[in-house]
Amino acid sequence: MNIYQPHLMRIAEITDETEDTRTLKLEFKDPAVAESFKFSAGQFGEYSVFGEGESTFCIASSPTRKGYIECSFKATGKVTQALRRLDTGDTIGFRGPYGNHFPIEKMKGNSVVFIAGGIGLAPVRCAIWNVLDMRDQFKDVTIVYGARSVGDLVYKRELEEWSKRTDLKICLTVDPGGETPEWKGEVARVPTAVEKTVAYAENTYAVICGPPIMIKFTLPVMDKLGFPAEHIYTTLENRMKCGLGKCGRCNIGATYVCKDGPVFTAAEMRAMPQEY
Amino acid sequence: MTNEFLSHASLSSLIAELVATGTRVIAPVQTEDSPDRLEYKPVCSLADAALAAGQPRLSLKELFLPSTEVLLSYRQTKEGVEIREVPTQARPQVILGALPCDAAALEIVDKVMSWDSKDELWLGRREATTIVSILCPVEDSNCFCTAVGVGPDSVRGSDVFLTPVEGGYLAEACTLKGQSLLEGRTADHADPEAIAEAEKAQSAARKKVQENAPAIPAGFSAWLTENFGHPVWNTMALRCHGCGACASVCPTCHCFDIVDEHENATEGVRRRNWDSCQTAKFTLHSSGHNPRPSQSERFRQRIEHKFSVYPRRFGEMLCTGCGRCSRICPGGMNLVEIVGGLISLSASNSGGAGQ
Repeated sequence: MNIYQPHLMRIAEITDETEDTRTLKLEFKDPAVAESFKFSAGQFGEYSVFGEGESTFCIASSPTRKGYIECSFKATGKVTQALRRLDTGDTIGFRGPYGNHFPIEKMKGNSVVFIAGGIGLAPVRCAIWNVLDMRDQFKDVTIVYGARSVGDLVYKRELEEWSKRTDLKICLTVDPGGETPEWKGEVARVPTAVEKTVAYAENTYAVICGPPIMIKFTLPVMDKLGFPAEHIYTTLENRMKCGLGKCGRCNIGATYVCKDGPVFTAAEMRAMPQEY
Repeated sequence: MTNEFLSHASLSSLIAELVATGTRVIAPVQTEDSPDRLEYKPVCSLADAALAAGQPRLSLKELFLPSTEVLLSYRQTKEGVEIREVPTQARPQVILGALPCDAAALEIVDKVMSWDSKDELWLGRREATTIVSILCPVEDSNCFCTAVGVGPDSVRGSDVFLTPVEGGYLAEACTLKGQSLLEGRTADHADPEAIAEAEKAQSAARKKVQENAPAIPAGFSAWLTENFGHPVWNTMALRCHGCGACASVCPTCHCFDIVDEHENATEGVRRRNWDSCQTAKFTLHSSGHNPRPSQSERFRQRIEHKFSVYPRRFGEMLCTGCGRCSRICPGGMNLVEIVGGLISLSASNSGGAGQ
């Protein structure tokens, strides 16, 4: 089996998150692959619609949930639009898992702050469930999630579920102007919400994913709160084809996002050439 | 390994036997439309080959990473999708008269193709191929192989290395594969006169290239890394059309795209096609964001990849100094001049402008 050969997966369930964002629950068709498949939070894969091509997304479900994976995508390009046309029971291709992962092991025994914006919640959600499924092994858990508008919030059922839990602190926010009359969360941009909600304590790790502009303005807030850049993890998403370090597309200087990433600390990001 | 004498007649019968037993033999041949233009093509006999007659227009890359190749074929059925794999075993082939720069390129690219996950398509063809290189006659002033650690007499990547001498070749078996190819074909010891003749030709060729460009200094890679944000990049690419011709002719450029093609409503193939970091869409995100929005960033990527990124990841430059990019560039960009300019800049301004 050559390295560009995908596994076949069946679409088991489709969830529309927003008007343009959809989550697919996928099951391996080959029981042997389903049995042996392992991944870690933060890793990604190449998902393909046969006849249309491959597209790169993170695995949005947690490795603690066995027997399936999930991916969430916005229909923006050729492949994602084709993915959106598929139905439950249809077959897609999947290669992976590729890349490095969030240091869940290292985070054990510490507090974790999750910060996400828009569809950036997908990789963070994977880490959130990973931590929540082993909740007793972590100290405080804080989630700050925001989107442009209420309609743009993804994983709404889970946001509700997390809001009801007493073992975590959660702040949901929408940008000013994006609220509805029924909205009970914050009305603020993510960096502002982070400043209000998050308190740094010794040994706290942060996971931040979202649009580049959100990350850009959240990092100074994290600095101010006292988070060392080595404790802040984020993911980079560059255009990729192979996912295996061969096609020469995703590098930022000498850093290959597919091999060295997609998870990087804020300290690593600062040391890279600013070409992302 | 020792140098042995291989006569024209002996090489000729070796080629004839290889062809007769189904081995594909590739050699530089004169193209029909222009006798000055050489291409690596299958040959049936030694007489078809134009050995050491000049540089073929394209490198050997196409033979290992075809400009387009099928990775898999698929068929939609009622039950889902059936995938048919392509074989990774390749047909045995011998490349006769490879230029040393083209042979070295294969070994350089092997590193990325076997980086953690093995690209069996590339490696399968490498495995099935025996490379017989020949002392390079040195094309022109665009050649700078000696500046990047290769040379017209470099045996790197070759299984056999030939140096033309009176009546035939001085043959050096560089690998076991080469040894078995030459088995029983050579006179055990070349006479001292032939050895002297070969050495003279080798050093003359070497000297000729060395005059084109000095060796790239050891600190150049680090300087490039540190000077990613240097203003020199803003103006360097003004002549670049972004056509990617340099990448097509380059023996070490290996970037590719993966695309699907329908053949009919239910069947099709997934292909890998050559791609180039010089095109605008190469890094374009579906959101519209492009990490390398202008030709300046794209050209910088080409230079950084070859002379900084690859050395940092794999310990050597992703360039063999073959000069093809300079010869083909419609904008007249010349790699000897560009690298030479950057080296002078690094010598005059070793501090750098940071990021």
